[in-house]
Amino acid sequence: MTTVYAPDFKPGEAQFLSTTFPQYQKNLGTNFPVEGLAFDAAADEAAFWSFDAISYGSGNLTLDIEWYADTASSGAVVWEAAIACITSNTDTQDVETKAFATAQSTTTSHLGTTGQRVHRSTITVSNLDSIAARDDVWLRIKRLGSNGSDTMTGDVILIRATISYSDT
Amino acid sequence: MALDATNRFRTFAQFMRDQTSFITGLTKPDLTAAIAATDDWCDANQTSFNNALPAAAKAMPLAFKSLLLAYVVMRRAGVLHAREDG
Repeated sequence: MTTVYAPDFKPGEAQFLSTTFPQYQKNLGTNFPVEGLAFDAAADEAAFWSFDAISYGSGNLTLDIEWYADTASSGAVVWEAAIACITSNTDTQDVETKAFATAQSTTTSHLGTTGQRVHRSTITVSNLDSIAARDDVWLRIKRLGSNGSDTMTGDVILIRATISYSDT
Repeated sequence: MALDATNRFRTFAQFMRDQTSFITGLTKPDLTAAIAATDDWCDANQTSFNNALPAAAKAMPLAFKSLLLAYVVMRRAGVLHAREDG
């Protein structure tokens, strides 16, 4: 059994709907630029990526979201994720009206100590929409800024996300 | 009259977007409570503020008086930039 990692979901490759989407940013750090998606604190903004479920075997997906708080050093952020899967040549679903499976969420507290430190939030994606190997998969990552458990002020900046799963 | 829930929320949301340097040590509940308290204070002290104004200003509409207070407070906070500042 091997853990397969899909290619990183990078901020510059994200897609968005017409409203409630995070702002793409390239922050010029002291030594290197930091690319990110800035999710507003007071709204539920979403970003989308797609990938090929290469070598998917079975079981839940593990989604790791790397992020940092733009200004906060306390409080918690609520992340939500959902997938939508289509088996080409088999599924008759219209791709442009395909719905996501039920979302999953996680709440992560700021670790404090240092501003703009990088955190990792992990979501176990258990609503798999009948995913199969080589499926076309759409991933939605959302910050639930309107959720009462999301107490972190200011933007939360996503710098990378990764999905992994078992090949057996 | 105090802001309703929608307007308090929008004040809260925009404050976070505009005043990023001030919100580092606050959580959303902290800021929400502060905005509510400020709005309540404005409501409770509206009469005393009005009475403190000279006659000409006292006769102006409520919107003028609100802006008057806002401009003075923003200048005290260092966020009101005047043309004369260069």
